[in-house]
Amino acid sequence: MKKLISLLMAMALLLSCVGFAAAEDAVNLMVWIGGDKETDWINGVIEAFQAANPDTTYNITVGVVTYETVGVTALQDPEATADVFVFPDDRLHELVRGGLLQPVVVDTEAVIERNGGEGSGAMAASMVDGQLYAYPLSASNGYFMFYNSEYFTPEDVSSFDSMAKIAAEHGKQVSFPVMNPWYSYGFYAAAGLSVGLDEDGVSNVCDWNTKTDPFSGLQVLQALLDLVATPGFTDADSDAFVASVKDGSIIAGVSGTWNANIAKEAWGDSYAATKLPTYTLDGQQVQIRSFAGYKLVGVNSYSPNVGDAMDFANFMTDYDSQMSRFILLDDGPSNIQAAASDEVMANPAIAALAAQSDFADPQQVGGYFWEPAYTLGAIIVAGNPEGTDLQTLLDNTVAGIVTPIQ
Amino acid sequence: MSAHDKRKAKCQPAAGRFFTSLIRDIREGDIWVKLSLLVCGTGYFARKQYVKGTIITLLQAALMIFIPTMLWPYMSKIGTLGTVQRELVYNPVTRKNETNDFDNSFKILLFGIIGFIVVITAVVLYIKNIRSVRRLQVRAENHKHIDTFREGCSQLFNKRFHFTLLSMPVLGVVVLVIVPLIVLFCVGFTNYDRNHLVPTHLFTWVGLENFQSLFSQQLTDTFSYSFRVVLTWTLTWAFFATVSTFFLGIFLAMFINNRKTYLKRMWRTFFVVAIAVPQFISLLLIRNFFADTGIVNTICRDVGITQFFKNIGWIAPGLDYIPFLSNPQWAKATIICINIWVGAPYIMLITTGILLNIPQELIESAQVDGANGFKIFTHIKMPYILFTTGPFLIMQFIGNLNNFNIIYLLTQEVYVTQNQALAASNAKEVDLLITWLYRLTQEHSNYKMASVIGILVFIMTAACALLAFNRIIRGNREENFQ
Repeated sequence: MKKLISLLMAMALLLSCVGFAAAEDAVNLMVWIGGDKETDWINGVIEAFQAANPDTTYNITVGVVTYETVGVTALQDPEATADVFVFPDDRLHELVRGGLLQPVVVDTEAVIERNGGEGSGAMAASMVDGQLYAYPLSASNGYFMFYNSEYFTPEDVSSFDSMAKIAAEHGKQVSFPVMNPWYSYGFYAAAGLSVGLDEDGVSNVCDWNTKTDPFSGLQVLQALLDLVATPGFTDADSDAFVASVKDGSIIAGVSGTWNANIAKEAWGDSYAATKLPTYTLDGQQVQIRSFAGYKLVGVNSYSPNVGDAMDFANFMTDYDSQMSRFILLDDGPSNIQAAASDEVMANPAIAALAAQSDFADPQQVGGYFWEPAYTLGAIIVAGNPEGTDLQTLLDNTVAGIVTPIQ
Repeated sequence: MSAHDKRKAKCQPAAGRFFTSLIRDIREGDIWVKLSLLVCGTGYFARKQYVKGTIITLLQAALMIFIPTMLWPYMSKIGTLGTVQRELVYNPVTRKNETNDFDNSFKILLFGIIGFIVVITAVVLYIKNIRSVRRLQVRAENHKHIDTFREGCSQLFNKRFHFTLLSMPVLGVVVLVIVPLIVLFCVGFTNYDRNHLVPTHLFTWVGLENFQSLFSQQLTDTFSYSFRVVLTWTLTWAFFATVSTFFLGIFLAMFINNRKTYLKRMWRTFFVVAIAVPQFISLLLIRNFFADTGIVNTICRDVGITQFFKNIGWIAPGLDYIPFLSNPQWAKATIICINIWVGAPYIMLITTGILLNIPQELIESAQVDGANGFKIFTHIKMPYILFTTGPFLIMQFIGNLNNFNIIYLLTQEVYVTQNQALAASNAKEVDLLITWLYRLTQEHSNYKMASVIGILVFIMTAACALLAFNRIIRGNREENFQ
């Protein structure tokens, strides 16, 4: 008996040595995803990746860093950042500028090809100066109009005026997050006004206060003040949208795929979605534009295994991975083949996003855009209580957006 | 001759004496003392202190290798904080990135400062060593006893026990407090911000530029305006938060301690539960309760309170909710009230103990003299409480200057400023200096301005603490009270 035990122990010791040796050969990679609910998806991808590369042992660990914080976290300590991480496309320029993103130099053509070629929105969102810096993962990070078809016909939802009128007749409301500049950007862009990155890749250029052709910022501001004062219209951020859809006070509103299930549950068979409507600007109907939101996968240029990290990022964003992501998380694919598949096309929210994509711009603004623009939104929603001159409001906002903090 | 000149005159000969005596020590020292200038341990070998000699020599060798190889590369670049920026090339064969030998400004700053501290310490030890070797020579010449290594060690537990006790704390303070403090202090004089993030980019010294932009009065510069607004609110907040919790806590304790109050323990428990729940949870919950669409607003609307406030003009006519945490004035009031709920129970617990400690005969004799409850409160209880809690009150005030939790957790993500000048500097009306500083670093990577604000907060709190402790905690106060 004793001999047996000692034999077993010796074997165990031997095995553990072999185990250690194998572990030393393994390639260690760390992946950051945006939330706990993505765990099942990423574990499936990791399993498939290992199965597809039987010659190498991969030791891939998963961490969660939210989409709001991943950009800042990565910039604060690149050496402690995961080898591969998922981030929203608005952080691209900052991360490139911070030297964090590894230029995609392996299989570049294939990645560009499968996401719709160089002219596509997905590529615009992941390239800087013609160089690809990230692998597009999903294309559904934008926003569009949800509506309850019990109240609205497909013709009604083409303009905010008709929608607000119908809502007011029923004592209900239609919503748009006017305060949040990520959404309200679309009103200015619709008028031909622009805000974007300067050549340094960090600070902004913005013409909201100067441009007058075809529309001026002043007219947009007035239109927004009129809109928020319209009966049947309300400003509602994501939380308020969820609460009001549930209690039935909002019957149509602008939000994103992350709230699709809420609307679906509340409205049942009359749940519907479409592109953004038009709004009244200087007496004309103008189509509201939007930010096209993509989620991208980046490879950390400080990674010690940058080649393997690129392989994994490539695998993690291919057709199969994006389809499984769509099935598990309802996240719309950026891969054109996946996006054109029947299952994806049948999803109303993603169809609505596709319809809006003709009026969507890549999100290329620096970090200084948000707070001044948020404050302008807050003033609009409050109805400009101080009665400040509108041009002054615009001038101050633009000054805040374009001036780097000293 | 002014006081300053006198001090100078006294000081110079002292320094002079130190060096002349050092030179005399070297000149008068025997060959072993002179050799100690080169190999520090030789003086001990000559007096048969072999272990000590070996340790000292090894330490010297370690420093002589460590300083030039490990620290000097950083120390030499501290003037520029590095000049070589990172460049990288992907090697498809090894499947790795190849980088140049780039400089990391932050590491240069950190290890450069550590390097200078090490060098200064080494020089001090070197001089001390020469003097102690010379002392040994004198002892040997006078045929006095020279300690063996074991005797030296045992002294560390007897005559020189304070060295043993204090060595670790002092080392800890230097490594964990002083070095980081110096580094963060230095960042305020660099251009370390989101345009100069290490390790990809370099940052460098800019002198007093950051302080100038904080105090300059230009119209385009919103930072100095924001600083004034935030500083004013920080001081206002600290005053009201401290005073309100203090008095309400005392009243609470007195009500519960009153003879006529039944179920004392139950009341006390109710209030303590408020502080038993971690603030992180309770404050975030409260933030949701008081949100524009939160439960408190729903109740207020249903009961008609919202309409009442509208009628008396406290809420803008367009709103159908009370902007508890979204309007500057309302938010400030709400925050102070919520802080009472969080803070008063602490004071209640502390003052309960103090009230029970008041000598009963004091109160009884006052009652005999015909003092009423109010008189007893203002003339006996209050002075007694103030006397005991004075220092605590000052610590509360300083703590409230830096009360990050309550402000950040209650206003983050729900409060949007309508002041465009503040927004341009990433500040809000309800920000304390500390929360502003936090968001500048965490959300905007503006380390240089955060450091400048940090330095000013440090000066402010240090001044408050010094002033208060000098005035309040004096040895003779106890007699005064009696």
